[in-house]
Amino acid sequence: MQMQDLVEAATGRVDRRIFWDQAIYEQEQKQIFARVWLFVAHESQIAAPGAFVTTYMGEDSVIVARGDDASINVFLNSCPHRGNRVCFADSGQARSFTCNYHGWAFGLEGDLKKMPKMGLYKATPGFRMEDWGLKRARVAAYKGLVFATFDENVPGLETWLGDFRWYLDAVLDVEEGGTEFLAGGATRSVMNCNWKFPADNFAGDIYHALWTHLGGAEPTLGRHGGVIVENEGSYQVSVNGHGWEFNDSYYGNAATMGDKEILRYMKSRRDAITARLGAFRANMWGSVASATVFPNFSFLPGYFTFRVFQPKGPLKTEIHAWTLVPKNMPDDIKDRFRRGSMRTFSPSGILEMDDGENWEHSTRANAGYVTRHQSLCYAMAPEGQLHDDSLPGIVHSGQLSDANQRAFYQRWAELMDAPDWDSVNFAPSKMAEQEAAE
Amino acid sequence: MSAVAKADYSTYPTLSLQQAQRAAEQLLALNGDGAPVDDALLTKITRFYNREARLLDEERFSDWYNLLADDIFYWAPLQENRFRRDRRATIDPRHMAFFDERKADIAVRIGRLTSNLVWTEDPPTRHVYVISNIEAFATPVAGEYETHSTFIQYRNRSEHDETTLAGRRRDILRAVGDGFQIVRRLILLPQSILLTKNLTNFF
Repeated sequence: MQMQDLVEAATGRVDRRIFWDQAIYEQEQKQIFARVWLFVAHESQIAAPGAFVTTYMGEDSVIVARGDDASINVFLNSCPHRGNRVCFADSGQARSFTCNYHGWAFGLEGDLKKMPKMGLYKATPGFRMEDWGLKRARVAAYKGLVFATFDENVPGLETWLGDFRWYLDAVLDVEEGGTEFLAGGATRSVMNCNWKFPADNFAGDIYHALWTHLGGAEPTLGRHGGVIVENEGSYQVSVNGHGWEFNDSYYGNAATMGDKEILRYMKSRRDAITARLGAFRANMWGSVASATVFPNFSFLPGYFTFRVFQPKGPLKTEIHAWTLVPKNMPDDIKDRFRRGSMRTFSPSGILEMDDGENWEHSTRANAGYVTRHQSLCYAMAPEGQLHDDSLPGIVHSGQLSDANQRAFYQRWAELMDAPDWDSVNFAPSKMAEQEAAE
Repeated sequence: MSAVAKADYSTYPTLSLQQAQRAAEQLLALNGDGAPVDDALLTKITRFYNREARLLDEERFSDWYNLLADDIFYWAPLQENRFRRDRRATIDPRHMAFFDERKADIAVRIGRLTSNLVWTEDPPTRHVYVISNIEAFATPVAGEYETHSTFIQYRNRSEHDETTLAGRRRDILRAVGDGFQIVRRLILLPQSILLTKNLTNFF
């Protein structure tokens, strides 16, 4: 079965079996999660040599560790001897990772260093320590965000992200000194939904906020009409399946946290950020917006919640979320963002609490045979594509649109069907041209 | 909902960052070292908690809100899996949390619940909140008591959607009139990954 037959990107028809079928899910693990660049950590989480976090790439458990030479290593968290996990902590500081089962110990680069009664292996003909390290992934970073892939042939991260990087700077490069994740690990929760529903939602669905979040927005924005979303002055941009919908309100999202001190601070930084990024991208910083870096790494400007939608089977998703702030933001404002993002977009958040129910039932409904053979409608396209040379990627004017979500599923189908990287398209990069010219 | 209706929440009671951090440190230090309260007082405290749980089960949010002191610090921290050798504090008030609230923030949450615009609560969720293992001790402040208790919070909504959460609470209660107000609350959920989609209820 060709996945491109299940996704009609031009008209916005999506076959519901892609949210339900176990075989399609297994193919996603192989064709997408085992091949592409996946977000694994922010550099600030593993600042010192020996610092590590554990996370997942698809359903593969991995360790992300800072080596003694300050390099970042990503490798499988499964002992090649009998397969047990070698690290059960979420984060920490280590010299080595020792498997609980037989005591095989691995270094910060995943190399097998020693095991009890090593002489038994030394006496074993043909056994070589270097053959049995923890499988390593390729690692690359963009402005603090660390990505990894287990595919040796996928083009580099700069090609994978392409000109989406230009937009990413609107949250990653607003201030001198870079960004950090607020301390304390990920906020993690479980949703009984297919991972693609939250991922497509963040790529381009502001439409739901007008209805789903009426109650959650009411205390901070006022009854009805509080959530202001118009296609005037707003956009959807898509690059290689990554999507960002946004308006030019500078702090529209931030306002729903209901903290005047945050807005006062953001106002005070507006001139400097505009000077740094230009007005267009400065206005994106905290605006009414959401974004997904394909396939499952999403964030919300304004709240600055960054999250991975970890697939756990076709019907289950684990959300791992952090809050990202500029490093040089004052401590008391960081603390306000910590609490503001928690109160809106965390499992107790007054906005996130409205989402889970929708995605769970969008998934569960497909248990019905007749139901899952009805297509879903991603047809909304009130505005055509905008051809503006100053804006990279595929740009649509108007954030109320399904344009990015159609591009998300087009990319999904393309990767699901592609036998190799030669048959995968990457958008020509204006940034790469500029970099080459410089 | 007279207590929390149509409000400018920025005028509601809150704490400074420093006050909140001191409150967090106070909660983390509570270890039942004080003198146990007498049986009559323990009975009164137990009655207070039984009623509090029933108010939440019955969605009487305004009545529940009135049990909170203006200087309440209400906190449910995250707990990571850490090696025992790890010297970092497992629970740290500067870290992300499930709840890290002042009275004004709780009013915002009640504002959402009572907006009649929360479609996921219509039809309503059913809750049973069980409180047990109640201990109470004197504190250095006259009329304030340190309490420890355990809870089971059961939630059922729609057809098959159910969640059971168990945990511990540490409170500071303040005697006010004939009853009590909650001045501090630490909610310890023993899950490193919240094994449900959200926390729509109060603890």
